[in-house]
Amino acid sequence: MMVSVKFDSVTKILGQSRAVDNLTLDIGAGELFFLLGPSGCGKTTALRTVAGFYTPDDGRILFNGQDQSRVPPHKRNTGMVFQNYALWPHMDVQSNVAYGLKMRRVSEAEKKQRVRHALEIVHMEAYAERMPNQLSGGQQQRVALARALVIEPDVVLLDEPLSNLDAKLRVEMRTQIKDIHLKIGRTMIYVTHDQAEALSMADRIAVMRRGRVVQAGTPHELYTRPESAFVAEFIGGTNLLRGTLEEVDDLLTVKTQAGIVHAKNGVKGIQRGDPVFCSVRPESLRLKPAGESRGKVPSTATNELIGEVLSMMYLGDNEQYSLRLADSALVRAVEYNPPTNKTKIGDRLALEFDAQAVVVLPQEELGD
Amino acid sequence: MTNWLRRHDLNLANGAVLLFLWLFFIVFMLYPLGYVFSNAFFTEDGFSLVFMKLMFSSPNNTIILANSVNLGLAVTLFTTVLSLPLALLLVRYNFPGKGLLNGLILIPMVLPPFVGAIGMRQLLARFGSVNLLLLEMGVIDQPIDWLGGGSFWGVVILESLHLYPIMYLNLAAALANVDPSLEEAAKNMGANSFKLFTTVTFPLMLPGYFAGAIIVFIWAFTDLGTPLVFEYREVIAVQIFNMVTDLHQNPMGYAFVVAVIVLTLFFFYLSKRVLGGGRYEMLGRGHVASAARPASATMTVVAYTVVLGISALALIPHLGVLLTSLTHRWFLSVLPSEYTVKFYQDVFSHNLALLSIKNSLLLSSLSTIIDIVLGVTIAYLLARKRVPGRGVLDALAMLPLALPGLVLAFGYVAAFSATPLDPRINPVPLLVIAYAVRRLPYMVRAAYAGFQQTSVALEEASINLGASPMKAFLQITMPLIFANLIAGAVLSFSFAMLEVSDSLILASKEQHYPITKAIYALLGRIADGPYIASAMGILGLLLLAGSLFIAGRFFGRRMGELFRA
Repeated sequence: MMVSVKFDSVTKILGQSRAVDNLTLDIGAGELFFLLGPSGCGKTTALRTVAGFYTPDDGRILFNGQDQSRVPPHKRNTGMVFQNYALWPHMDVQSNVAYGLKMRRVSEAEKKQRVRHALEIVHMEAYAERMPNQLSGGQQQRVALARALVIEPDVVLLDEPLSNLDAKLRVEMRTQIKDIHLKIGRTMIYVTHDQAEALSMADRIAVMRRGRVVQAGTPHELYTRPESAFVAEFIGGTNLLRGTLEEVDDLLTVKTQAGIVHAKNGVKGIQRGDPVFCSVRPESLRLKPAGESRGKVPSTATNELIGEVLSMMYLGDNEQYSLRLADSALVRAVEYNPPTNKTKIGDRLALEFDAQAVVVLPQEELGD
Repeated sequence: MTNWLRRHDLNLANGAVLLFLWLFFIVFMLYPLGYVFSNAFFTEDGFSLVFMKLMFSSPNNTIILANSVNLGLAVTLFTTVLSLPLALLLVRYNFPGKGLLNGLILIPMVLPPFVGAIGMRQLLARFGSVNLLLLEMGVIDQPIDWLGGGSFWGVVILESLHLYPIMYLNLAAALANVDPSLEEAAKNMGANSFKLFTTVTFPLMLPGYFAGAIIVFIWAFTDLGTPLVFEYREVIAVQIFNMVTDLHQNPMGYAFVVAVIVLTLFFFYLSKRVLGGGRYEMLGRGHVASAARPASATMTVVAYTVVLGISALALIPHLGVLLTSLTHRWFLSVLPSEYTVKFYQDVFSHNLALLSIKNSLLLSSLSTIIDIVLGVTIAYLLARKRVPGRGVLDALAMLPLALPGLVLAFGYVAAFSATPLDPRINPVPLLVIAYAVRRLPYMVRAAYAGFQQTSVALEEASINLGASPMKAFLQITMPLIFANLIAGAVLSFSFAMLEVSDSLILASKEQHYPITKAIYALLGRIADGPYIASAMGILGLLLLAGSLFIAGRFFGRRMGELFRA
């Protein structure tokens, strides 16, 4: 069954802090939904209230519009994949996977068949009789996934499922989990602090900070139209140029100490005179020798700032630069397919970027 | 209020369980202690220090107090001197047969020292084996009074030989807990082996050392059986024992018990706060590589010599008991002149002996069941739930470690006289509870360690898949902590079987005697009494040895964690 999940003004207090603070979210049936945020932002707490391990201190959790807040965890039919997998060390792989079916009193024959099928989905059918401690991290991860899927849960809950794997395996498993989601079509809520994981897999993402959702949307929306400096910074990384909003017209004009910046996009509600950030992604910056464009009148659709190269890092398919602007702000730039380069540390370069690539955001303090 | 509720896991079930636990501790621990205190300080005319004054004004009493403290300190010192080299050798070096030696060190624990005293008396008496041997060999021409000086040193030696394994377990654990990288850093800064030990290793071991030292101290300070057998009456334990019978006429007993409690708490506090300092071992332990290195040939010889030497020394009392149990004539000869297994048969036909074995088995089984139920419940609440008064519950469950059996038993006799629980009418309920209370800390610790090693996520995963919380606990957590429970239960059971002071005080009629009291009673009989007593002692020894072996099997290297404060 496809189930939608709703957080209705949920608050959960742990110790002295509001781990989840008046959270409202609608997760569509069949969606692969991500809760993304730095550690301590409340994403795991939110997930555990869906599983029923925490009861909301305020607000409700709804499955298909039905209040679940008082339903004990073992009656909720969610399948959870734990961060450390939580495979029972005294049971072999198939007993681990069969456990939920046993609780549901599924007949012996059907149980066998479903366990087999679940193990096939995660490519672990050959390991049915192994004990958990005989498996590698990636294999344990897949058994944990099979154990959660075999009960055909209304919602699959994944708590940082890939965080204990090495980098290469992590990338492989992303594809596998996404494939599984397509195949079984169930609602999945996936908690992670890894923005690349979220961007590459999610149908939609909610970015959380201090117990609240700061922005929810598709990966593309979040990346191209962040609504806060926190989101812009957390998703993909960005340059934030500090300035004052001078004009609001067809284009927004921001005066920074390094020069005037024109922007096509801005968050609703900002007004002339506001202190703002101009968010420009590193890959939107084009680097040119500083002399070349001198004398040309920069068009309002294109911005140009001058910076001094502080360091360069060659990574094969791209090269990353760190530059210092006139107001001594630091800026990162990325050049793909870098040409055989003659740039040196200390060179002065022109940074060119389109007004289309700039988002104007209200200033705020950053960090967790 | 809502905030307070929110911070705790409190529902009807938890609340009821907590209430029950509180009641148990109040009735069977706090109330008897309070009763003793109030009788020591309140006369018919209200608050009064008259008994306290009486106690400290009589030079006799101050000598008795000083004797007991000295006894505790001497035993602590002796056990330290015996076990420090053992710990250093066995933790820091690897050599063939190390596991075997490790087991050998623990053997002396298996005999209650007051039984060992029987053997010791036989060997070291004025005309005992040692003197006779030396006379025969012409080394001396007058028998030496080995147990002289009021037997103080006899008691010290016997208790030290019995208790050094506990000290060893603690020192070894403390040493193993010292992060090797901290030592490497000291070496890197230029410390030589001696400096390294005195400035880094030993200071880091101190908290662990004092945790074990206080157990040893309290044990020796309040031991009743050994001084009784050596007839060393000028100690506080024997005095209190003698005062139990007329405690309603002579309130001095209360004053002595209060003195024991105050001194015990004082030394406990001293060891924890002042001497023990912070618990450094918790800090920064990124990785702990084994600090053991292969021993050179010389070192191996040294290790074997030291361990075998100390073990041989420690086994002398056992040997004495064994020989006594196997003979019915052992006068004026180095070794018995005739051997017989008659007394082992007697144990099972002799009324008192057989009855006392049955009594002990029943009492210990019941107390172990109570310990399992209470211990698992308390450990579960402490490890898994945020219940109000968590710290107090923890402290109450651990208090029996610092609470001598002598004090508890005295409190029971005093507080429950003329109630339905009156031990002079039927001591069985209070004996069971006294055993259970005394061994509860071991059970709580064993279960708590199990819960700590078993991630909550394992239980949650099971609930998430549809198991009720109770089912999840029984199917997932219980099997995983089973080994811990067995270890804790075996220890509780076997120590209850050989519990001395509460058995001697609480059981007043022969029909209720547990093994230990029967052994003590038999010792006093002339004719075959001591021989049957020795045979019973050997049987008890075998029981405890078997239990410790099983517990060690289940609990492995972490046995030491059970015997510390």
